[in-house]
Amino acid sequence: MFQTTEMEINLGPQHPSTHGVLRVLLKVDGERILESKPVIGYLHRGCEKLGETRPMPQVVVYTDRMDYVAAFAGNLTYIEAVERLIGLEAPPRAKYMRVVLAELQRIASHLLWLGTHALDIGAMSVFLYCFREREMILDLFEGYCGARLTLNAVRIGGQLNDFPDGWVDEARRFLNAFPKQVEEYETLLSQNRIWIERTRGVGVISAEEAIDWGLSGPPLRGSGVAWDIRKSNPYAAYADLSFDVPVGENGDTYDRYLVRMEEMRQARRLALEALDKMPGGDVRAKVPKRLKPPAGAEVYHATESPRGEMGVYLKSDGSETAYRCRFRSPSFVNLQALPALVKGHLIADIVTLIGSIDIVLGCVDR
Amino acid sequence: MSTGKAMDKPLVVRFKKPSLLSRIFLLDLFRGLAVTLREQFNPHTTVEYPRERIDLKPRFRGVPRLRNHPEHGEDLCIGCNQCAMACPDNCITVVAEARPEGAKIKAKRAKAFIIDYERCCLCGLCVDPCPTEPITAIYMSHDFELAHYSRERFVTPAAELYEGHETVVYEK
Amino acid sequence: MTDTLVNWGLIPFLKIALLLNVILGVVAYLTLLERKVIAFMQVRLGPRRVGPHGLLQPIADVLKLMIKEDIVPAKSDHLIFALAPAITLAPAIIAFAVIPFSGTPAPLTLFGHTWSITPWVTDINVALLYLLAVSSIGVFGIVLGGWASNSKYPLLGALRSAAQMVSYEVPLGLSVVGVLILAGTASLTGIVQAQERAGIWFFGPQIVGLFLYFVAGVAETNRAPFDLAEAETELVAGFHTEYTGMKFAVFFLAEYMNMIVVAAIVTTLFFGGWLPITFGLGWVIPALPGILSLQFLGPWGMFFAGIFWFSLKCFFVLFMYLWLRATYPRYRYDQLMRIGWKVLIPLALGNVVVTAIALTVYRSLKG
Repeated sequence: MFQTTEMEINLGPQHPSTHGVLRVLLKVDGERILESKPVIGYLHRGCEKLGETRPMPQVVVYTDRMDYVAAFAGNLTYIEAVERLIGLEAPPRAKYMRVVLAELQRIASHLLWLGTHALDIGAMSVFLYCFREREMILDLFEGYCGARLTLNAVRIGGQLNDFPDGWVDEARRFLNAFPKQVEEYETLLSQNRIWIERTRGVGVISAEEAIDWGLSGPPLRGSGVAWDIRKSNPYAAYADLSFDVPVGENGDTYDRYLVRMEEMRQARRLALEALDKMPGGDVRAKVPKRLKPPAGAEVYHATESPRGEMGVYLKSDGSETAYRCRFRSPSFVNLQALPALVKGHLIADIVTLIGSIDIVLGCVDR
Repeated sequence: MSTGKAMDKPLVVRFKKPSLLSRIFLLDLFRGLAVTLREQFNPHTTVEYPRERIDLKPRFRGVPRLRNHPEHGEDLCIGCNQCAMACPDNCITVVAEARPEGAKIKAKRAKAFIIDYERCCLCGLCVDPCPTEPITAIYMSHDFELAHYSRERFVTPAAELYEGHETVVYEK
Repeated sequence: MTDTLVNWGLIPFLKIALLLNVILGVVAYLTLLERKVIAFMQVRLGPRRVGPHGLLQPIADVLKLMIKEDIVPAKSDHLIFALAPAITLAPAIIAFAVIPFSGTPAPLTLFGHTWSITPWVTDINVALLYLLAVSSIGVFGIVLGGWASNSKYPLLGALRSAAQMVSYEVPLGLSVVGVLILAGTASLTGIVQAQERAGIWFFGPQIVGLFLYFVAGVAETNRAPFDLAEAETELVAGFHTEYTGMKFAVFFLAEYMNMIVVAAIVTTLFFGGWLPITFGLGWVIPALPGILSLQFLGPWGMFFAGIFWFSLKCFFVLFMYLWLRATYPRYRYDQLMRIGWKVLIPLALGNVVVTAIALTVYRSLKG
C-alpha cells in the first residue's frame, strides 16, 4: 500500500539541546529512529598534546577547561596522578579539603545536569531553581580560589591556600539548607506523571551491556552495577569517610535520574562529615623546585567525577614535561552507548537520552 | 594506592508508584503547581548588571597587575622571571635592570614588564612563585571588564600595570 | 430604512473595528504578561529595560517583526506560503463575533434616535456550534504552512500538530455537551442567563467538563504541556521554522488569540460570563449581585461592570495557561495521542451520560 521512506535528519551542532556542539545524524522512519550516528570533534582543542608540551604544574589549567562543568574533578585527577608519579603525598588536611571541594563540585555538576535535563524535557522552571542553588556553590568556590568555573584549585602537594575566614560556616549553612531544595525538585519532578511517562522505560541499558560498553558513573550505577571508584580505589580522604552509593534497578532514564538525586544527598553528607572531621596542619607538602619524576615511570589514576570515571595516564621521561599524557574522559566513553540506546525510540527521546547520559562536549572532545 | 574496603551494600533507589488517589485526582500535578506558585512570591535572584553589582570576594581572580611596596612605594617586582616561566600561555615578558643607588629594595627591578591580556587565561599560576615580601609583586586584581575596540590595547606595558589601565566600569 | 442600515451595518461595523483593535492590543500585552509571570515564577525578572517594567516591550517586538526581512524559501509554494498565516489567524478573530462581553444592552442617544448597543457583536442561537466549527478551520493554516515550506522540520512539525489538533477536537466538542444539557440552549448569552437563573455557575456540577475542556483547549492551542509541535528543544521551531517577519508575527498572534478565545469560552460556559463574583454570598445577601454589577448606575454601569467581571475571569484562566507552561514538562507525541483518544474521550462520554441521568433524576424529584 503506502511505502514510508526513511528520512535523514541532522541534529546539527548548533541546537538548543545537545549539550555543547554535538552533531547527531539520524535516520528516521516517521517518528521512529532507525539509526543514529554522533559526530564529535567540534570542540577539540588538543588538550593531550598541550599536556605533552607544557611542564606538569602548568597543565592543570587545561584540565579545568575539559570538563568545564565539574572542573574540580579534572584538576583533582590530574594533580593526584602527578603526585603518584613523583611519589609525593599531600598532608591529611589537604586531603580532607579536597573531599569537601570535590563533593561541592559534584552537587554543582548534578544541579546543572538536572536543570538542563528538565529543560530539555520541557520543565522550564526547574532549570532556574537549580541554577539558584548552583550560584551559591559557585560563590563558595569564588571565595576559596577566586574563580567560579575554571577553578585551578589544586596544586601539586596539596592545596595552595587554606579556607578563608568564614568559609566553613558559609559552606555549612548552604549544606544544611540544601535538602529542602532537593525536596522541592523532587516534588516538581519525581512523582509528576508527565515526567514519569517521559523517562520510565526510555533508554534501558542492562547491566551486562553497561559493562560491555565501558560505561561508568551514574549510567553504570543506574543499571544496577555497584561500582564506585571512591569505594573500590579510594583517593583523597574517602577511605575514612562513610557514605552510601545509590544504585538503580532497571537502567532506564528514570533510574539514572534517581541515582543522581541520591548522589546529591550523599555528596552533602560526605561534605558535612569531612568538614567535621577536618584535621589541622599545613595544607601543602614540601614540593621540590623542579619536579623530577623517575624516567620511564607511568601511572594511571582514576577518580569518580560526577560524569563517571575520569582518568589520567602519565608517562614520564625524567623531565618536568610528561612524555605522554592521556585523559580518559567519562563523557567520551559514555557517549558511545548513544546509538544503541536510541534505536527504536522516537525523536523526542533523543534529547532525553543525551541529557540522561550527561555529556559535556568539552570532556568528549578535549 | 590501596584498594579500599569491599563495596558494602549499595543503596538501591526505587521508583515509588504514586497512589491510586494521587493518580485519579491529579495530586502530583497540583503539588507541582503549588511549588511554582510559592516561588512566585520569592524575591528574584536577578542582579541587574550593570546598574547593580555583586561584591567580589577578596580572592577573586581578575587580570594580573603589579603593585608597589605598601610602606615606601617602590615597585616590588625584582625581575626574577619566575612568573613568566610559570605561565602556561607564555603571556608575560620581563626584562630586568639594576635599581638606582639608594633604593630600599636590594634587588633588580623590571625594566619592561609586558602582559598580553589576549592570551592570559586568568589562572593565577603567576602569583604562586612570586618571591617578594611582604606581599607578592604580581597579584590578581578585581578587574574583569576588559572589552576593547583594538587588539593592541591588550598588550599592556608595565606603567599601565602599576597604575592599572583605567579600570573600566560599565555603566549601561 | 436608516434604522436598519445603522442597526445592521454601521453599529456592528464600529463594534468590530473597536473589538479588533482592543483584542490585538490585548494579545500583544498578553505576550508581555506571559514573560513577566513565567519570570516571576522562576525567581527572575522579565523584560525590564524597554519602558518602565518592560511595558513597551510588545511594541518593540511588533516593530521588530514588521521591519524584518521577509525570507521566502525558493522551493516553497509561494501562494500557500503567504496564505497560511492568514488562514490561521482568521478563525481566531472571527470567533470573537459571538462572545458576550457583558449582559445588558445599553441605550445610546444620538441625533434624536436611541439605539441599543448590545455588548456582543451578534447573538446567534447556535453560537457554540459556530465556535466549534470555526476552531476546526485553524488546523488548515498549520498544515498548509508546514507543507508549503517544503522543508523537513516544518513538515514534521505540521503533521504532528495537525494530528494533535484534529484528535483533540473530539473531546473539545464532547465536553461542552454537559453544559448544553444543563443550559438547554446553545446560545452563549442563553448559557450565561441559565447560570444566572440557577444561581450556581456550571463549573460546580460540570467540574469534569471544565477540566476536559480546558485540557483539550490547551492541546488545541499547542501550549505546554502539549506543545511538542513548537518545542524548541526538539525540532527547532516546528511548522513555523521558515517564516520570518510579519508572517511569523501573524502565527504568533494567532496562537495567543486562540488562547484568549479558549479563555473566553471557558469563562462563558463554566464561570458565569459577565456575572459578578460573589463567592456564593448571593444566596445569603440577595442584593449583592446587583450591587456588584453596578445596577445603581443604570444600564451603562451594568454594561461596563459586566465587561470588568468577564475580563477578570478571563485573566484568571489565562494565568492558569501560563502557570501550566511554567510547571510541567512536555508530553511526547504518542503519549499525547493516547491521552486524547483513550483518556479524554471516554471521560467526556461518561460526563455526558452522568449529566443526563443526574438532570433527569433531579427534574423528576422536583416534580
